[in-house]
Amino acid sequence: MGPEIIHYLPQKIDFLGTTVHMQTLYMSWITMVVVILIVAAATSQRKLIPSGVQNVVEMFIDWLGDLMEKNMGVEGRRLMTPFIITLFLYIFVGNELGMLPAVGVHFTSPTNDINVALGLSVMVAVLVYIIGVARHGLGYFKHLISPTPFMLPLNLLEDIARPITMAARLFGNILAGEILLVILNRLTPWLVPDIWIGFSLIIGFLQAFIFTMLTIVALAPVFKAVHG
Amino acid sequence: MVNIDATIIAQVLNFIILLAILAKFCYKPLLKVMDDRRNRIINNLDSAEQTRLEAEELKKQYAQQLADARAEATAIVDKANKIGQKLHDDFMSQAQEEKEQLMATAREHIEQEKQQAMLDVRTEVISLATEIAGKVVSEKLTGAEDQALIAKTADKVLNK
Repeated sequence: MGPEIIHYLPQKIDFLGTTVHMQTLYMSWITMVVVILIVAAATSQRKLIPSGVQNVVEMFIDWLGDLMEKNMGVEGRRLMTPFIITLFLYIFVGNELGMLPAVGVHFTSPTNDINVALGLSVMVAVLVYIIGVARHGLGYFKHLISPTPFMLPLNLLEDIARPITMAARLFGNILAGEILLVILNRLTPWLVPDIWIGFSLIIGFLQAFIFTMLTIVALAPVFKAVHG
Repeated sequence: MVNIDATIIAQVLNFIILLAILAKFCYKPLLKVMDDRRNRIINNLDSAEQTRLEAEELKKQYAQQLADARAEATAIVDKANKIGQKLHDDFMSQAQEEKEQLMATAREHIEQEKQQAMLDVRTEVISLATEIAGKVVSEKLTGAEDQALIAKTADKVLNK
């Protein structure tokens, strides 16, 4: 990807025989700070009658809350709202971060790193199993052999494929968007990259929504009746 | 960037830290406010519906009371009219009776007066006639038979 990094800080560090992409982590931290600032701005002066940022954040919470309630029921919404909202805001802000112009710091999306995307999707997949076992006991694993034991390979494949596809979709869209932006900048420095940035901002929102929606869908069966 | 390495662990930790911070300091109070608001709106709607139903009930009651009052008023006025008519009729008939009685008494009285006057006139006529006749036929008409004859004649004249 070339040298799109914060130049005066280490780009990579070796860690127990493997490496850590510091550029990704810097951007991830920036994203975290932005998300915290947004949510803190929305919640610092909580009012019964909302206004300003509180209104916008509550709009997202209501919107995702409705989706959660439809798919996971009231209990699922109550339990998962903080996770889902954080996931959405983190991916959304992270996706848009890479579209910022380079002013001193070259901004990239943390989500253009497969490690971030896969980290999030594997975390979701593990969370599904944790909540499933917590709610249904070990009987939760029965869903792998439902409706018949012959379905075991397909069910396993589904559970493994889901985090991989979620991660690939997110990471691929964002990385491709940023690569294309660099290429367009080299080809035509004016107008065309700006149009692409506008388009990418929409893609950033859309991918955040798709990832969140797939997470909700993956969590939905856990909050329904026990399988089998 | 496309190699899976320790970044994935760091990233998961990042996200968990972010989630923990937000959940602890932001979501709980915000979700509480949203829940409170939702409950409040539900309560307000409920109480508004309750109030509306009560108002409707009251309206029905008032309409009923108004109709009752109107009917009662009509009945009272009718009754008063009837009583008034009856009083009027009674007074009229009583007055008529009294009037007739007074007329009868007066007529009787007049008749009596007339009789009396007739008698008086008769006596007067008799004496006058007697006196005139006596003067005309000085002695000849002093007897009782003459007096009776003269009286008879006088009556005949008077009754004409």
